[in-house]
Amino acid sequence: MTDLQNPDTRAELNFLARRRWARVGVVYVLYLLFMLVFLSPLLFSVVSSFKTNPLDYPPTLKTPQLNPLNWIAAGKLGKAAGGGVWTGGAEPGNEFTFSINYFIEDIENLQEPEFTIPRRKPGAGLAAVKVPTYAADHLGISEIEETRREPYLLESLSGTAVEYTITVTYPEGDGPLLERVPLDILASTELIYLSSTLPASRLERRGRVASFDHIAPGVVGFAFYNYRRVFDETESLSTGRNLFVAWFGNSLFVAIARVVLNLAFASMAGYALARYSFKGRYLLFFIVIASQVIPSQVTFISNYLVLRDGVFGITRLFGVKSLLNTLAGVIVGGAGASAMVESAKVFIMKQFFESLPKETEEAAFIDGAGHFRTFFSVMLPMARPALGAVTILTFQGAWNDFFWPMIVLTSPEDIRTLPIGILYFRQIYGAAGDWGLILSGAVMSAVPVVVLYVVFQKYFLQGLSFGGTKG
Amino acid sequence: MKKQTFIPWIFLLPFLISLSLFFVYASMRALMLSFTNYNLFNDYTFIGIENYKALFRDSNFLFALRNTVFYAFFVTIVQTFFALVLAALLNIKIRGINFFRAGFYLPSVTSSVVITVIFLWLFQRRGMVNFILSRMQALIPSVLTLILIIAAVQTLLVLLEKRRGMPVKILELPLLITSMLIAGLAVTALNSFGIIPIPEFEEINTIWLNTRESFMGIPRPLWAIIIQNIFTTIPTLMLIFLAGLQDVPPVLYEAARIDGAGPYLQFRYITIPSIRPVLFLVLTLSLIGTLQMFDQVAIYGDAVPLQSVITLAYYVYNRMFPGGTLPQVGMASAAAMFLAVITIAAVILQRLLIKSEADR
Repeated sequence: MTDLQNPDTRAELNFLARRRWARVGVVYVLYLLFMLVFLSPLLFSVVSSFKTNPLDYPPTLKTPQLNPLNWIAAGKLGKAAGGGVWTGGAEPGNEFTFSINYFIEDIENLQEPEFTIPRRKPGAGLAAVKVPTYAADHLGISEIEETRREPYLLESLSGTAVEYTITVTYPEGDGPLLERVPLDILASTELIYLSSTLPASRLERRGRVASFDHIAPGVVGFAFYNYRRVFDETESLSTGRNLFVAWFGNSLFVAIARVVLNLAFASMAGYALARYSFKGRYLLFFIVIASQVIPSQVTFISNYLVLRDGVFGITRLFGVKSLLNTLAGVIVGGAGASAMVESAKVFIMKQFFESLPKETEEAAFIDGAGHFRTFFSVMLPMARPALGAVTILTFQGAWNDFFWPMIVLTSPEDIRTLPIGILYFRQIYGAAGDWGLILSGAVMSAVPVVVLYVVFQKYFLQGLSFGGTKG
Repeated sequence: MKKQTFIPWIFLLPFLISLSLFFVYASMRALMLSFTNYNLFNDYTFIGIENYKALFRDSNFLFALRNTVFYAFFVTIVQTFFALVLAALLNIKIRGINFFRAGFYLPSVTSSVVITVIFLWLFQRRGMVNFILSRMQALIPSVLTLILIIAAVQTLLVLLEKRRGMPVKILELPLLITSMLIAGLAVTALNSFGIIPIPEFEEINTIWLNTRESFMGIPRPLWAIIIQNIFTTIPTLMLIFLAGLQDVPPVLYEAARIDGAGPYLQFRYITIPSIRPVLFLVLTLSLIGTLQMFDQVAIYGDAVPLQSVITLAYYVYNRMFPGGTLPQVGMASAAAMFLAVITIAAVILQRLLIKSEADR
């Protein structure tokens, strides 16, 4: 027995207890630290996707679009302009004011800045092709008013802060709702930009040019400016359909179709493999394993040709000459084995059916149910957990699938699925350095799967032990 | 198990159709096409092994071969190693593990396009990666001082405890935490008094993407992809290892400790052998995945010179859809066959290695 009265022993016990606690504490800290490190690219990109220019240097988490004070200002402006607190925009018969503050060291040199509503295309890519409604054609700016002047200290430089205010008027009439009201303010060299009703989207030439993308944005229009651009600036030039919405719909359709097909076919195949012995069983296993190892680069060549020829002409019976550039092609075929019945899903079902007791089926057989009735009305309802896993994992795989849709879906623009669409964004807007639009598109494309992950976490993490990882 | 000749085939029918058409038939056809001069539009003729010979005269193929082999082995080894070390470090039964598991797995849930687009942005010339590098460079003197102070304080504390008769180890955790806190405060003080000033940041403007520069003979854009892949795969592999490690009975470690085995020996003779099946799974998956790397190359696309990142998988695609010139389906098939052989060989080789290790 340990002698607890002995001071030496007690000290040693305390010491060992301390060691245990320290170990647990350190492990927690390490867990948090590593998680933060590994998630930081995602977190940082989500925050930056709100910024006017996500390439701001030095990079910072400070984002004007996520500051509640700016939301209030944006809401007020949107309301005053007539477009509403949330979505903003300017409507006829409204006027609103906008102020900007400058610092000047020597008040003698004070010169009024110049305010203009520029005729500017909203962005690169498709936005540059589309003909927008220019706010400049409809809005008027009042005389510039100096609304405040007070002593100010800027980094130990004493001088004066001056505030200028303009009133923007949209005369009564039947003008359109202006979705975007840009503003440029050009100041003389002596003026240093301090602040404005809404923070400037861009400051150029050391703050001499303050440029605003939208001065009547409303809360959503301000905070989700980039996100709105994803919808506004991506229209198919041929059909006029909104590309992002089209891609989203395509992805959803493909994913749901693949889930349904996999549920039906993988459970049937899994059941046969789990419960029946038949000639060629081992050959089948060998082929399935081989299909996991052989690269999809080997099989996609023929699979592409099969789709091109309409599955040996069978689809001609339905009046379709080729399955290329159709969603059906993405669903039916697959770069690797097949998207309709994935081997991994067959394995999930097989493992599950093997874990069920055989007595259930035997009872059904004794009651006179045939093989198919037994499967569909007894076994399948019992397989709900496995069917859940198949649903979630197939949806995720289909939603994220890249290689096969990229081969099958090339034209027109609105037939693509989301990942191919995001790649297209990257090609079009990446060259122009317009990362706000790319990042917000990417973030939105990830939302469905992330939501699914948060809700059905256990299925994903189960999939981990099935080896559901990518390189 | 029921002996049946007819019923199971009906259940298997859809699976068999798709497997035979899109895998068995497809593989055979690719093998056949690799001996032809097919270009999608002609009536092809068989040309023997001309395509295979032509591959080795094509500089793009040779670049692809070098990139793929280096990428696969480097990434597999590094990410497996770090994931294993991390898992061993974190292998302690704690509450709330599910929260952490969920967090670590998150990057693997999103698509490769989203992840790659994000990393492309981080690797811009004025992007986060260069920013972190320049800040780290500026902090080197402070970090060195920090390590020195930690070592000094730790030695002092351990000696003190030893004199009190405690069985302390050199890296005794409670003491280490204390030393770190003290050292942290000391360095902060030294920094703010300007004794060890944080130097002016020298901006690092490494061009990661549109460059022909290389590092260790490997093009810089490929390094960007390597970093991206290692960084995003480690958490997942770590979780797989962790699951394996938590099944190892703690008694084994206790016995080893009593026999006087230190952390390294425990890791070598208990941890590694008991998770050998998991290790095999992870290595196999990593090798297959990395040898077939395609998405990142396609997404980096015109942002980088093609030769610097082209892989065998992308080479196949590029021969099939060259854009502008006639497709060379025969060459594409031959390269695909080559990739398949490499993949199978790597998996078998790695299996043999692990086996022989087990037999020792």
